[in-house]
Amino acid sequence: MPRSATDPAPASAPSSETDFAARYDVIIVGAGVAGCALAQALAQADVEGRRSILVLDLHREVSPRFSGEFIHPRGATVLDALGFMPALLEAGAVEVDGFVVREHADTDEPVRLDYASVPNERARGVSVHHKRLVRCMRQLAAENPQVSLRTPWRVTDVLTQPAKARNARDARIWGVVAKGPGGRVVELRADLVVAADGKASSVRKFAGIPDARRNLGFTAGLEVADAAQSNPLHANVYLGGPGPMLCYPIIREADGTLVSRLTFDLPKDLPAKGRELAPYLLETFVPHLPERLAGQVAAALEAQAALGPVEMAPTFDLPAPPATAPGLALVGDAAGCSHPITASGMTMGLLDAHYLALEASRRASVAADEAWLDDRALRNFRVEHERYVPTRQALADAIFEAFRGEDNGARGIRRALFHYWRSGERQRVRSLALLSCAERRPHVFLSEYLKTARHVVGSNMTPRHAEHFPVRDRLRQVHGAVGLAGTKVGLVASVAWSQLRPTWLTA
Amino acid sequence: MTAMLDDATSTTRASRAGTARPSTPADTRLSPLEAAIARSRGWCQEWWARIHGPTPWLVAVPDIGPTCEVLLADALFHDLSDEEREGMLAWVRAEQHEDGGWRNLDGELDLSLTCLGYWARIQGGEDPQTPALVRALRLIHELGGARKANLTVRLWLALADTVPWSWIPAVPAELYLLPEFLPLSPARLSPWARQMVNAFHLMAESKARIHLYPARELLLLRDGELIPPRLTSPGLAGDMLQAFDQSIKLTRALPRGVVHRRSLNQAMIWLEGSQQRHGGWFSARPTLYSLLALRVAGAHSNDPRLVRGLAYLRRARGQVEAGGAVHLAQGLSDRPLAKVARLGRVVNLEQDDHETGEALRTRVLAAELAHAGPWQRRADAPVGGWPNEERGHRHLDLRATCSVLATLRSEPARTPAVRASLRRAAEVLLAMQERDGSFARFERGESDVPLSRLPWRDADQLNLGAPRDSGKVVLTAMVIRELASLGWRREDDRVARGLDWLFNAFEHEAHGWSVSTLAGVVRAFAAQLPPTDERRAAAEQALRKRQWEDGSFGDELSTARALITLLELQPRGVPCVQCERAARQLVGRVGLLARERASVPGASFSAPLPGYGLSPRLRDPGAGVRDLHLALVRFAERTRKPKSKPTEPANRDATLRD
Repeated sequence: MPRSATDPAPASAPSSETDFAARYDVIIVGAGVAGCALAQALAQADVEGRRSILVLDLHREVSPRFSGEFIHPRGATVLDALGFMPALLEAGAVEVDGFVVREHADTDEPVRLDYASVPNERARGVSVHHKRLVRCMRQLAAENPQVSLRTPWRVTDVLTQPAKARNARDARIWGVVAKGPGGRVVELRADLVVAADGKASSVRKFAGIPDARRNLGFTAGLEVADAAQSNPLHANVYLGGPGPMLCYPIIREADGTLVSRLTFDLPKDLPAKGRELAPYLLETFVPHLPERLAGQVAAALEAQAALGPVEMAPTFDLPAPPATAPGLALVGDAAGCSHPITASGMTMGLLDAHYLALEASRRASVAADEAWLDDRALRNFRVEHERYVPTRQALADAIFEAFRGEDNGARGIRRALFHYWRSGERQRVRSLALLSCAERRPHVFLSEYLKTARHVVGSNMTPRHAEHFPVRDRLRQVHGAVGLAGTKVGLVASVAWSQLRPTWLTA
Repeated sequence: MTAMLDDATSTTRASRAGTARPSTPADTRLSPLEAAIARSRGWCQEWWARIHGPTPWLVAVPDIGPTCEVLLADALFHDLSDEEREGMLAWVRAEQHEDGGWRNLDGELDLSLTCLGYWARIQGGEDPQTPALVRALRLIHELGGARKANLTVRLWLALADTVPWSWIPAVPAELYLLPEFLPLSPARLSPWARQMVNAFHLMAESKARIHLYPARELLLLRDGELIPPRLTSPGLAGDMLQAFDQSIKLTRALPRGVVHRRSLNQAMIWLEGSQQRHGGWFSARPTLYSLLALRVAGAHSNDPRLVRGLAYLRRARGQVEAGGAVHLAQGLSDRPLAKVARLGRVVNLEQDDHETGEALRTRVLAAELAHAGPWQRRADAPVGGWPNEERGHRHLDLRATCSVLATLRSEPARTPAVRASLRRAAEVLLAMQERDGSFARFERGESDVPLSRLPWRDADQLNLGAPRDSGKVVLTAMVIRELASLGWRREDDRVARGLDWLFNAFEHEAHGWSVSTLAGVVRAFAAQLPPTDERRAAAEQALRKRQWEDGSFGDELSTARALITLLELQPRGVPCVQCERAARQLVGRVGLLARERASVPGASFSAPLPGYGLSPRLRDPGAGVRDLHLALVRFAERTRKPKSKPTEPANRDATLRD
């Protein structure tokens, strides 16, 4: 968008933490993983150092709520390319090898899904304590001369043109209103506002983009030192209990201690809250962990009960809204999120940063008085974004439903998944490639869906223990699983369409 | 109430010292509630000692049927000592009513029990002209004679050669050759019926005879001939089945060769393979019949199977109280694990005696099923859960499993063994759900056996309970409550279906439920549904309406269970007025009982329980003190307030002291 003659020229870096330039090229709202990665990526794309990027965040330090910590190899590649990785590893980040999924705590043969087996991908992902991750990324991003990081500033509105328009399609966003320390309110102008403020994005709300979030429940998190797991450098999924549990390493301390995060998936109507949550988890979830780990977790929960309530965060399913509007881009969880069981949220945010910065680097040479990321660049970004986000969301939703196993069909699909994964290495590799966002070809997605559906019959007609399991019960299982798989046909079609859709069809 | 709590320490000291009644100077300062708790604790401890004595008391007392049968069967086994025989006969005598008959546990006159009681007394050497026996015989004749009695009486008459074996329904031997998954296979019968039918079949095939008093006077004659019983229900289908039965019996006279031999061999293999390690079969009566079948098949009296089986029957005997005296009775099983777990939990409720708790935990963990059993034929779950008896190893009992889970949960220590047991039990509970949403106690499909749909007169004996009887309702409610504690909530379709089934049963049957049954259902709803849920509210209202003017809900046991439920409905805050009235009534009742029944504390409480087959109800004389103590302790915990915050209404204490 051509800048008007009345707009002030790009400002030099403001002199203090509370000073702002009259105009920025990009304002990023939210200094989390996606926001910091985008700031860093944009700064790197601006090879001539002519652009100004403002990053605002509500929290002076890091958001107190625990959040995403596991990053797939594709996201780790982005972190590596942006130069974060050495600092993260120094800060205790752990390189991770993939997933291990256990159907039951007593199962001797868990399913291993190794990143190293996925061709043409980084062999390892990375996992790091969220607060350390964000702290480290903020520090590095703020070192760029183009980047100004301001905290604690809350965005209270967006500036639109025309001023009264509240629909994202009708108006162009050209800045934000922010409220800072001492109640100071400022109007900040920019060619592009990027909402990186998470699933409950306030910018998205102010821009009039409908919020279709659906609360799925809650995730409680607990840190366990030197967790006794057969595959400590994998994300271990434990099923068989009232909800899935996920355990992955988050910190390697200087003394060699490997701290892991164990998350518990809780229903929407919480059965226990506050201090009652630890005993509840002890009673209900912990028995479904392997023996040694269960002992450690029990001790950790008892210790946590003395300190305070177990950390908890709500989980949402947010069907991806349009990722761009005139003057606005949504990245990370603000642009769609799903249950964290597939641990792909941060990878998505990093990919968003990568693709948006790619557009920025393409336009690195435009004149300084022209908008850096114009509407065409945003549209290109959106086309790309809409190719990987639906796949990820569809997979995350399906896997969450199957792992939670709240109905006969979901349990049938879960059995089929394990049956399928145990049928060969190639099957595991393809599934992991899809899960880790390394594979998004529509025919692969479609063939994986069909193969899993085929295993529904075989796995559900064969009981695990019952000698004479009634045929009607077997058929009921198959019927439920086939019915559930049938409901996903539309989803599969929409995912395939998102990959095949021509660029010109994107609004 | 404050004064009561001030004395809590002295109460605890007194209870640890084993004081059953408040008699020390410190106890004189106890409030009525604390005194009632101390008394009920003493009674619980006494019951705990009773069931672990050298001759334990029965905590699941059946009618006199099993005792009479053991007395009759002793004509073959010669196993009872004089003392045992006399003790059992004394109980049979004590249970006889003035009109000469014997009652079942619902208090109804029962022809079959009267026949057996009469016969057992005469077999024990009593003169048939004794007035009580004359009255009994007259009553039997008035009711139509032994022809109209149940299958058990006819079986004993056949064994005594008083009636022909055609009076017993025929089981085509060839059914034993059918694959076990087919509906007509005997494997499809409920576990109790399977063992019984198998033994019946072997005895009938060999036309067994025992030298018993023939008891011909039990039968009515027409023109000097026996009147044969009708084995099928009235109607065309019944007539056709009767004809089929006759044809089966006729074909028995024909040479059937290898098929018949193989069928009998198969039945014998089933019989031998069903004996558990503790010596018994499913329970006492199948054990008795299986021993008879083995003996008939040629096993000598020193055969280890017989010796172990008779030892099991002996262990299943226990003391019972009747008419103010203590007698001996044949129970249906060895010491029931559910009772041990529940009483043990209550005995340890307020004590810091970790050693006792640890011992109980070790004991129940050792009883967990570790071998595959017939219950897994139709339930897709790994081995786990608990049997009905401590030493049983083949038959899962979901009721016992729920009781053990509640006990394990009450213990704070979580060992790997406990966690593993909980995990397995959760899978077992979920796998035992029937298609309609209810839960099976021993095996899936036990209350809806295909063969029972045929118009046999005794067809209901092939099932274990009816698909919607109160035993099934109580069990389903227990399982749903346990699943809530194990983390399975109403979001899971299995729990949701169970809740739907319970509510459906509530809507159609609740008018006939006892307070205990209703309380169980309300507790299940409270564990799974939020207070705003309509189903929970409806059940809660139904329970609250059952309270009487004096604050009770009927007998002490019902009041105690209702009080526990009302406290669970409102887990925080001050208990409601209805709770207070119920607690006050219980406190008063405990004091009264302590004065009335000082010599036999707790014996006046009784809980009806579902039993097995021909003894469909049991009585638990220890249940009252157990649940009463639990209710009072929970009420006391809820009314206990921090000393620094005396904000409770001042009249609450006064209310309880009234």
